[in-house]
Amino acid sequence: MWHRILLRHLLALLLTALLGGLLGATLVRFAPGFGVDERELDTRLHEDSIQALRHSRSNERNLLRFYADYLAGAVHGNLGVSHSFARPVTDLFAERLPVTLRTVALGLAGGWVLGLLLALPVATLRGWSYEFFSSLACGAFLCLPSAVVAILFLYFGGPVALAVCTVVFPRIFRYARNLLLQTYALPHVLTARAKGLSGTRILLWHIFPAAAPQLLALAGVSVSMALGAAIPIEVICDSPGIGQLAWQAALSRDLPLLVNMTLFVTLVTLAANSASDLTSKALVKQAA
Amino acid sequence: MRRLTLALIAASILLSGVLPAKSQSGGELHFVLRAEPKTFDPMLVDEEASETIRFLTGGVLIRVNRKTQALEPELAASWKVSQRGKKISFHLRDGLSFSDGTPFSAEDVAFTMRKLLDPNLHSPTGDSFRSSEGSVRVAAPSARDVIIEFPAPVAGLERLFDQVAIVSSRSPKKETAVLGPFTVAEYKSGAYVLLKRNPYYWKKDAHGQRLPYLDSIRLDIQQNRDLELLRFKRGEIQLINNLDASYFENLAKEEPAAVHDIGPSLDAEHMWFNQVPAAPIPDFKKKWFRSANFRLAVSEAISREDLCRVVFSGHARPAVGPVSPANLFWFNRSLQPHPHAPQEALRRLQQDGFRFDGHVLRDGEGHAVEFSIVTNAGNKSREQMAAMIQQDLEQIGIRLNIVTLDFPSLIERISRTFDYELCLLGFVNVDLDPNGQMNVWLSSSSNHQWNPEQKSPATPWEAEIDRLMQAQASTPDQNQRKRSFDQVQKIVWDQQPFIYLVNKNALAAISPALANTSPVVLRPQTFWNVESLYYSNQGRGVGQ
Repeated sequence: MWHRILLRHLLALLLTALLGGLLGATLVRFAPGFGVDERELDTRLHEDSIQALRHSRSNERNLLRFYADYLAGAVHGNLGVSHSFARPVTDLFAERLPVTLRTVALGLAGGWVLGLLLALPVATLRGWSYEFFSSLACGAFLCLPSAVVAILFLYFGGPVALAVCTVVFPRIFRYARNLLLQTYALPHVLTARAKGLSGTRILLWHIFPAAAPQLLALAGVSVSMALGAAIPIEVICDSPGIGQLAWQAALSRDLPLLVNMTLFVTLVTLAANSASDLTSKALVKQAA
Repeated sequence: MRRLTLALIAASILLSGVLPAKSQSGGELHFVLRAEPKTFDPMLVDEEASETIRFLTGGVLIRVNRKTQALEPELAASWKVSQRGKKISFHLRDGLSFSDGTPFSAEDVAFTMRKLLDPNLHSPTGDSFRSSEGSVRVAAPSARDVIIEFPAPVAGLERLFDQVAIVSSRSPKKETAVLGPFTVAEYKSGAYVLLKRNPYYWKKDAHGQRLPYLDSIRLDIQQNRDLELLRFKRGEIQLINNLDASYFENLAKEEPAAVHDIGPSLDAEHMWFNQVPAAPIPDFKKKWFRSANFRLAVSEAISREDLCRVVFSGHARPAVGPVSPANLFWFNRSLQPHPHAPQEALRRLQQDGFRFDGHVLRDGEGHAVEFSIVTNAGNKSREQMAAMIQQDLEQIGIRLNIVTLDFPSLIERISRTFDYELCLLGFVNVDLDPNGQMNVWLSSSSNHQWNPEQKSPATPWEAEIDRLMQAQASTPDQNQRKRSFDQVQKIVWDQQPFIYLVNKNALAAISPALANTSPVVLRPQTFWNVESLYYSNQGRGVGQ
């Protein structure tokens, strides 16, 4: 039974990623400015060199053929060569992926800790003033686009991971607060409180297990949230990660790099969602 | 004897003011690369970041002195151009070594030139030498002599060697074995390039101390210009090249001693009308754009002084033509910028059958004169210039629409689809010699932007430009070349295929902690004398 579900998820993940990659490639291929190179305007270049530059990307014009060639290469570990960086995509990923993963992981960890720490007192204390001020503060942060957060960090000089945390935590807070309020209002929790169980015991034995499936679903979504926030933040703060790479690839219509980026982001997002989905299903089944 | 002693004492006092004592050498210089370097191979350099690294690490045979614009011997002790610019012979310095200790010889120069001049390499540096078809002969008759023979004369031949960094034919380290003052020690993609001093660098100062004074240079890869300025203010970086006028003004308020306006640069901001016969624009517009009177009228309707004052805060000069006054030899001094004369512009337009009713300008067939200007999005100064040109043209009844596009889309429009009417861009001039502009002026070239790749010149004046450019390229006589190119400048001034607007000033910021700096107009403005830069006592510790 579990094998089937897992296989179905993996198949869906693979097909969606492949389709996402193809759609991404299609958008780049038909974007204005595709296949042109800034170097064509270099007045030092001989006419032959300009023509060579113009034809250097002719193999990318037939999209399906390009994608088939790309997939054949990817199977053997060859992800192609970036035009804008003149380097193999695998090298670029190997250098930059750890930076982004670190940023996203720290940002997510910080966002979750802060979000939950702020949300718990709302549900446990139930004081209107705390709820009002914490909601107001988080609402203000929620209104800030990632780019604005990045600019603030740029000027005040904070770590990039903290900027991702600043984007993630209000969203975690908002969802976790609502979830905890609902869970604390469940009959068996009320009964436990009436029987005089300690707050920690209620939290660990009654609240978290009941809220776990939804929290896990939120965990899956928060990965794509953090990854999405990391792209503009890395660009603005000049952090040498995947986000900066994606931005430069888009500006130069770097098809091999953009296809890989699309596949990467799709795979990470889907994998995180599938993992949380499967785990929450397992938890629900176990509870039943 | 006493006089000699006194003279020596005076000289040593003078020199001590210019040259650092031994204790003053060392330290790390920090500045920013605004893009990721695409290559460390000096032969394949085609963008600014890689060019910076090539300049700091590469050893060249001949160097253009960025201050005097004269040629100076570097790895070549002497050279001789013969056969009317077809042949060049070098006599090399003795006893030099690459940064890995491999000895430098004529074989390395021959290896570099053979590789560089391979047409299949498609190197901008190598292509600069390609004046005609045919093979180049490179010979090293001795360990210190090299002879290079081209199939046809190459105008300004020796200047081209300023861009040719010699690579080792034998070193296993390939392009990391260099002859320049620094060598690449570390590179982290998207983050930084660390250069360490070349222990085998051959130059010494007047005290006999081996150059460069600095131990290392850290080049942080950073695209964000605001962050670059912020880091300069914090003292984290010591140099900024090509500073924007707005940043210059901002910094001047806080650190007036750090900013330098060096005067007009070689670069020009210019615009041109689309004159491509097959362009997808209405025929009546093509007729306007092909009229020299129309182009001149538009040129005269624009106030260049206002552009300099408002857009560049006074850090620019009205442009005359393709050569900036900063180019001391090639600038045609008999020409002046077109004056702001809207009435004269209207008179010219009336000659062509245009009518101005006080609000709208119409052509002889009754079409209201309206067109769009495209420029690259995100370039604040160009966007402001377009807005000011829009206002100026409104004064003579022309309606101008502004379109900003990202760079790839813009290039596609101006070089592939020709779907544009007027384009505003900048011309970055890295070469003092007009031969570097050959592909702009020849009507058959793909970079002849107003009407590229013509099978035969579309107009008599373009045919004349073709003839003059070929003439200047085929003679080694500099004065004769200058006369030909002066005529080209005059034709361009009369016909306005490119409407030159302004020459931006070269603006730079240099930390007062750095000594022996001498910013110049030519690239690289602030670190052209990098081997002589050092930290003064007062500023010691800033970059160290």
